[in-house]
Amino acid sequence: MDINTYKAQKSGYYKILGGLLLLTAVTLIQPYMFLENATFGIQLMIGAVKAWLIVMYYMHLKGETLIGWTVGFALALVIFFFAVVMTDVHHFQFKDISYISEQHVSAGEHTQHHEE
Amino acid sequence: MSHEEHGHEYVPEIATARDGKQYEVQGWQGDFYGGKLGFWLFMLTEVMMFGAMFLTLTYYFSLHHDDFIEASSEFSVLLGGTNTVVLLISALTMGLGLLKMRAGDVKGAKLMIYATMILALVFLAIKGVEWTEDYHDGVFLGLPALQAGNPDSRPLGEILFFGMYFTMTGLHGFHIILGIGLMLWLLKRINAGKVTPEHHILHFNIALYWDLVHLIWVFVFPYFYMIGAGHGH
Amino acid sequence: MSKSYLEAGETHCAIGHPKSVFWQWMLTIDHKRIGLMYAAVIFTFFFVAVFVALTMRIELFAPGAQILDGDTFNQAFTLHGVIMIFLFIIPGVPAVFGNIVMPLMIGAKDVSFPRLNWFTFWLYIFGALIALSSLWTGEGFADTGWTFYAPYSLNTNTNVITTLVAAFVLGMASILTGLNFLVTIHRLRAPGMDFFKMPLFVWGIYATAWIQLLATPVVGITLVLAILEKVFGIGIFDPSKGGDPVLFEHLFWIYSHPAVYLMILPAFGIMSEIIPTFSRREVFGYRTIALSSASIAGIGYLVWGHHLFTSGMSDLAKTIFSFLTFFVAIPTGIKFYDWVATMYKGQIHMTTPMLWALGTMVTFVIGGLTGVTIAMIGADIHLQDTYYTVAHFHYAMLGGVVFLLFAGLHYWFPLMFGRMYNEKHAKRAFWFNFIGFNMLWFPMFIAGYLGMPRRYFDYLPEFQIYHQISFFGALVFITGLIYMFTVLISAIKKGEKVGPNHWNATTLEWHLPSAPPPLENHSKVPYVDFRPYEYHHGDPVVKFNYETMQRID
Ligand code: HEM
Ligand SMILES: [Cu+2]
Repeated sequence: MDINTYKAQKSGYYKILGGLLLLTAVTLIQPYMFLENATFGIQLMIGAVKAWLIVMYYMHLKGETLIGWTVGFALALVIFFFAVVMTDVHHFQFKDISYISEQHVSAGEHTQHHEE
Repeated sequence: MSHEEHGHEYVPEIATARDGKQYEVQGWQGDFYGGKLGFWLFMLTEVMMFGAMFLTLTYYFSLHHDDFIEASSEFSVLLGGTNTVVLLISALTMGLGLLKMRAGDVKGAKLMIYATMILALVFLAIKGVEWTEDYHDGVFLGLPALQAGNPDSRPLGEILFFGMYFTMTGLHGFHIILGIGLMLWLLKRINAGKVTPEHHILHFNIALYWDLVHLIWVFVFPYFYMIGAGHGH
Repeated sequence: MSKSYLEAGETHCAIGHPKSVFWQWMLTIDHKRIGLMYAAVIFTFFFVAVFVALTMRIELFAPGAQILDGDTFNQAFTLHGVIMIFLFIIPGVPAVFGNIVMPLMIGAKDVSFPRLNWFTFWLYIFGALIALSSLWTGEGFADTGWTFYAPYSLNTNTNVITTLVAAFVLGMASILTGLNFLVTIHRLRAPGMDFFKMPLFVWGIYATAWIQLLATPVVGITLVLAILEKVFGIGIFDPSKGGDPVLFEHLFWIYSHPAVYLMILPAFGIMSEIIPTFSRREVFGYRTIALSSASIAGIGYLVWGHHLFTSGMSDLAKTIFSFLTFFVAIPTGIKFYDWVATMYKGQIHMTTPMLWALGTMVTFVIGGLTGVTIAMIGADIHLQDTYYTVAHFHYAMLGGVVFLLFAGLHYWFPLMFGRMYNEKHAKRAFWFNFIGFNMLWFPMFIAGYLGMPRRYFDYLPEFQIYHQISFFGALVFITGLIYMFTVLISAIKKGEKVGPNHWNATTLEWHLPSAPPPLENHSKVPYVDFRPYEYHHGDPVVKFNYETMQRID
């Protein structure tokens, strides 16, 4: 590797670091600053962007066709598993006869504010 | 077939077609791309494993939404956030180490590996502080607060949340420890002259592994520390 | 003449260069030897599980208790299931023939990571030992069934944890096998051999390897969660603590459904090798067979929910899963039509492997089509957890996977040992197996349809006749098994010597310099510019000079 590519790649690493630090900062302040009602979604979205940066640049996935496809396949499967299982749990129609205990069954001080 | 052990260079075989054209045969020895592909495939198994854990977590988040938010708000964003930054920087040092190795700067590469190891230890130390505090607050696997059906019990959803928290951060911590072990091994191989700028697949894959460990944290952190941040407490 | 890989000293080892023949086997990294060791171990376990099953059949000969009590019966079917699934059929075809034959078929010297292969074998043995250890320690072997359904598995006092740990370790071995094969197939194909020039068995192994790699971790972590639940009681999967057992079933079947395709795909690959060889014709629809393997593997990931139709899944999810399940039958059907079309107007040679392959075409069709019947929600509400389901999966797994494994054993026997078994006896053994098998399992479809539930050690008197026919079927079947293995094992030493290409077949594993093959396989790596099954008037088209491995036709 000649000195110029080395330097270019090194500065690439620092640039990505900057991006990641910035996103981390957003992660840390978001719940207190904006869109407080959508924290979960926002947090995971930021996480996804960070993950994308890491995978593409730190893990050098950019330009890898075969490996890229395998990663894509695995992610597609995970997404499918999520989609179907979460669809199932959201459409569960036996709640009233289900044996799954509700949260306020157990004792303790923390339960108070769960009670209607 | 221990060609490498005897220090002989592996000479690829040649296949000859009907028209006499010759083609180099890819052997299993010294196959850099094969090593890389194999390691990526291994990382996909980790993705599936943590994917299934996140699925479990999400499933219970939807069943016990309020308990999850409530429990999450108890975590210290300061400690978790510090750890996030520590890991982030360690990913940089690891990457730079590999870069130096490829550029022929073995000494610089080793320094960077040491730096990564120190950051990994810092991460573990902070994690240790957190777990110890949890333990003193009575929130730990096996303690009454995390067992249903006694006066100290937390609500069921919180027990699930904390249970998954210890499971997943524990598993993640285990990967960090494993990573430190791998780095020690890597240093040994570098010192023995087995990992060199020309043959650095081991370094390459351990760097990938470290990025994966970081990647998992990128999702573990917000899921446990941030979803309840800004609520009460 | 080169030396055979079976001779003393003819191996590379993971550590050092041991002098003793014993250590040469223990430390070998040669894919052929590792495959043989897997075969020895998995067939031993197979027989153990067969005899456990025979014990259950004796118990079921009449209503009421005969030789086992209810709790022991529960442990017996768990032991049977765990051994058959995790120790026998999941490693099964890939571990044996994936190791022995696949590298030969693509012209490789070994798999991509031979040392990892060695490690994987011992990891498998380690897992097996953990499973066995739970037989004699603590409260005895698990009594949950091989599916470990929560919440019962969380509450029972038997050794569930040990069994779960064993399943986890065995899963890791399976993952590493798949990983090794994927890299091997991507990297080590002989020059010129693109994906559509690979033999169909390699396609089967390839599709399987993807399932091993991506599905197994899901069940692995599920088992870990179940262990944690048992130790710490945080409520995962336990409905009395806010958890949901249906989630366990989801996660379990996300793996275990693809796992059934993991078993069958390489077995189908064996079928795709045998049919053209003994029909002396190029396989019909090569691409459709190859791609149907890939699509079965793909669709197989999307249908796990058909095991949850009566478990309290939402109606919407049931409908989605029933719909998707039907799609699996399409690529499976395509394969069957292709095989039949290959035989059409071929010169069919009724050798033992061909006989096994044809027998499987009968039994697997029954297994597959009954699978479609229970993919219908309405029918399945009645048939779930009855003997009908049990008969379905035994027709699919025993009559499909295991029969084809036996077919492969007969097909590649001359390759592995350079000797031939006695075909007359081998064919007779087949008929024992085939008739015994059908007698054993067919009555269960009827009993199940009439309402005989599975996993019961007692039953109503009206089911007695079916159980008794089954019992006699089991006797015939086991006789056939012992017969078959006697014929094969005695041929290892005493069989008639044969040349490297006993069946006059086309694929590369038959073009080795000697039989059994030498340590480093082909004398030279060939250049592959031909399709795997080219015949002209029943003769192979491609011919080699075995010194240089250049084509001379
Ligand atoms: C043609 C494609 C197939 C279809 C449509 C199909 C469909 C099904 C369905 C719907 C069930 C659930 C039945 C119930 O629990 O009520 C089932 C169970 C099962 N199938 Fe299949 N199947 C097919 C092929 C296979 C193959 C190839 C194998 C194995 C090699 C297999 C092994 C099993 C096993 C082991 C079970 C039951 C597991 C248990 O509950 O213990 N199936 N199948
Ligand atoms: Cu299934």
